[in-house]
Amino acid sequence: MTTSNSALLNKIKPFLTNSFRLIFLLLPIYIILSITLWGLVWSGYLPLFIQNQLVWHIYEMMFGVASAGIIGFIFTFVSEAYNDIVIISKKQIFYIVMLWLIGRIAFWMIDTLGVYVVALTNLPLLIWIVFLIAKPLIVDPLRNHISLGLILISIVIIQGWFFASLAGWVATDAMSILKVALGSFMVLELLALRRIATGTINEWLDSNNVDDTFVARPPRYNIAILCIILFTLFEFLFPYNPILGWLGFAVCAAILNTLNDFFIDEKIIIFKPYVLPIFLVLLSMAIGYGLMGFDYLYDGFNGINHFRHFLTTGVFGLSFFTVMVIISTIHTGRKLRTNKWINLAILLIVIATLLRSLMPFFPLSFMAENASFIYLSSSVIWATAFIIYLMIFSSVLSEN
Amino acid sequence: MAAILNIFKNFPRYLWSGWGAIASIFLFIALWELGYQAYGELVLPAPKDTFLRLVNMLLHEGIWKEMQITIQRALWGFVISVTIGSSLGLLAGLFVTTSMMSRPLVTIFMGMPPIAWIVLAMIWFGMGDTAVIFTVVVASFPIVFIGALQGTRTLENNLKEMAESFHAPLLMKIKDIYFPHIFSYIFPSWIAALGMSWKIVVMAELLSSYDGIGAELAVTRSQLDTEGALALVLMLVISLLFIEYFLMEPIKREVEQWRD
Repeated sequence: MTTSNSALLNKIKPFLTNSFRLIFLLLPIYIILSITLWGLVWSGYLPLFIQNQLVWHIYEMMFGVASAGIIGFIFTFVSEAYNDIVIISKKQIFYIVMLWLIGRIAFWMIDTLGVYVVALTNLPLLIWIVFLIAKPLIVDPLRNHISLGLILISIVIIQGWFFASLAGWVATDAMSILKVALGSFMVLELLALRRIATGTINEWLDSNNVDDTFVARPPRYNIAILCIILFTLFEFLFPYNPILGWLGFAVCAAILNTLNDFFIDEKIIIFKPYVLPIFLVLLSMAIGYGLMGFDYLYDGFNGINHFRHFLTTGVFGLSFFTVMVIISTIHTGRKLRTNKWINLAILLIVIATLLRSLMPFFPLSFMAENASFIYLSSSVIWATAFIIYLMIFSSVLSEN
Repeated sequence: MAAILNIFKNFPRYLWSGWGAIASIFLFIALWELGYQAYGELVLPAPKDTFLRLVNMLLHEGIWKEMQITIQRALWGFVISVTIGSSLGLLAGLFVTTSMMSRPLVTIFMGMPPIAWIVLAMIWFGMGDTAVIFTVVVASFPIVFIGALQGTRTLENNLKEMAESFHAPLLMKIKDIYFPHIFSYIFPSWIAALGMSWKIVVMAELLSSYDGIGAELAVTRSQLDTEGALALVLMLVISLLFIEYFLMEPIKREVEQWRD
């Protein structure tokens, strides 16, 4: 290792105390930059030097942002689930975050670097993550969390497939592959959320002396996952087929079914801190699939891509924010509580999601004049939530 | 009164618990859509068109009247079979002799195909209400009878003895020991009988009546109107689901709370 590398490592040492600190500092910055830039590009205020802008936007919002979220969540979760075992060293944390950063820079420069270089900088990240978490997941005799590993492997394969498409190795359209990727990320969201909800809500119940247990029942999530897989498969194999309408409704109903877990005896807990955002993630996913289903059945609406933002702006936004806040709070030794800024940030993500996703319902005359403004404001509002995260947690993350 | 209030209080939560079932139903409709795309609309019309046809029937084609006739017949048949089946079943269950005597008769009733009853009913009563209701009664009665019989026969002697040793008043014994136990047997049989009534009424109407949903089905058959036929079937299924899940199931849950 060179001297300059060692100096850098010393400087960022506090951020390497846990696997999530450095990435949860960089991720919001990246979200703020990329989504604001995209808002300006899509609303026509700014040109972008990338040729296929839409593919860039979708890929970066999914693989770019989500892989950072995965880094922050998966190592913390797996370590905690298996008696705080060490699965990643400080050096590995540093290199893995650097690899993520290089991947982002590379994708921005895809037109200059070419597909192969970008693929080589992007693909190893998730492969490395899977490699690091594989052992504890496999040696667990109950295989309790093996599903997380399996879905990550599928995401790696889809990512490889995407680059093969960009390189012209396969004839599949890159956009169709990204839709498959979104379905896989939704499955990952459900698998992760089930675990996060169980831990977080029970912690809240304990700390408030509520003699009850929250159980996120696996069969309910399994039905939802099955429905999402079917929707994703059919959307890929038979695009724009009316069958997707019924499958979309099935996904919507199956996800609403998972909300039954939130009835704990006679108490209504959904408005409690950190329960509401988790609830909203599921609700946003249900609404997104439900509206897409409606669109596939109702000819001439053409709102599918808008409604899909319930899954990206809504589900991704709310889940990343919530997971970042929960992990940054609990795993830095703090008690889980909320404040008006965190509530405001959640509200902002909800507003941004509604603005972006419900555009097909706005009057045409209004949209003709204000579409650009809505695109931009939705992006800015969404980014503001992550500015709030940075304001509150940047100092927390840098503490020793 | 408290039980009724409880049913209303728990109703929203109960309603929400239905999302899992709704998801399965939508998956089934997706399979239906697949069937339509594979075999064409003559064999299986598109679910969307069928639902739109159903709405059209309800709004414009005056199907309400036929629906009302069918539901009325089904309910009459159901109420009669529940009344007779429950009373006779309970009585038969009280004595070993009667329960032994009644078993072969019930087997005969259960074994006789409803279509045979329809033919007999048409000969005995002619086309119309009575033939349909009679067929519904004879098809549903054995189900309720067996439920009631089993309920009475399986009353736990230990509990009875305990109640007697504590000199529990008769009303308390009925309310807290006999009723919950018998109900847990008899109520599912009522639900099964209700389902049977709904199925039989359409079949009986199809063959032995000039009105009702069954008769409408006969018309759609003669016109090869598969979409109309499926819309009518949907109407019946939806009405059955409504009665079973919105009316019977909440009552069952409330009454069977003791099992928890």
